[in-house]
Amino acid sequence: MSTKNDYFLKTLHVISWIIFIGLCIEAGGFIFNVFFTLFFNPEGAQKFWTEVNLSELYYFNQSHYVTLTSIMIIVTVLKALMFYFIVEIFHNKKFDLSHPFNENVKRFIAKIAYLVLGIGLFSFWGSEFVENLVKEGIKLPVLQNLKLAGADVWFFMGIILLVIAKVFQKGIELQNENDLTI
Amino acid sequence: MPIIVNLDVMMAKRKMSLNELSEKVDLTLSNLSILKTGKAKAIRFSTLESICKVLDCQPGDILEFKDNL
Repeated sequence: MSTKNDYFLKTLHVISWIIFIGLCIEAGGFIFNVFFTLFFNPEGAQKFWTEVNLSELYYFNQSHYVTLTSIMIIVTVLKALMFYFIVEIFHNKKFDLSHPFNENVKRFIAKIAYLVLGIGLFSFWGSEFVENLVKEGIKLPVLQNLKLAGADVWFFMGIILLVIAKVFQKGIELQNENDLTI
Repeated sequence: MPIIVNLDVMMAKRKMSLNELSEKVDLTLSNLSILKTGKAKAIRFSTLESICKVLDCQPGDILEFKDNL
């Protein structure tokens, strides 16, 4: 059982690393492309990212362009930060399945919950912003390609994680009481 | 907590060391130490039974209630 758990945790660790690196590349790419299109080559907005053509928005209003790309950057950075915390807890070996109810895990879940709520909030803001721009007649890529889809799912996940953090708090109290029962 | 653990008093009366008691009641030294210093939150009946058996005493000799603490 223990070997199986170790294998499972190692697999999750590797997957988390891959996703973290992917999100870092994506966030870095977004940041670079914003500066590149604003200061060097506006034509770059045509191929802002894979299947993301923001040239119409760029020529319509640069401040709208900066707002939308900033929201995309914030969402991607928050996602990368979330996976950084996941990688960190695996790396520091604070995730102990034999004693799952400890302060480190509770703090980790609470941190992830607030990050997820933040991602949900910015995704929602971004999707509303895109909707308003589309109403004004600007052609924009779909939300999935802008990495702003699923705001409701992020909110739902954040609330569930907050509930789990509360359950963990109770679990820690019970564990402490059990440890001090002779 | 108003419940006082008088384990050290009973051990002194029976002239028994913590090591000896831990071997006889089959508890670890650290757990007995937690009990002796009053840090324990609860005690199992089975533990109380074995301590009473080894020290030849009643639960009331080990546990005491003092409200004014």
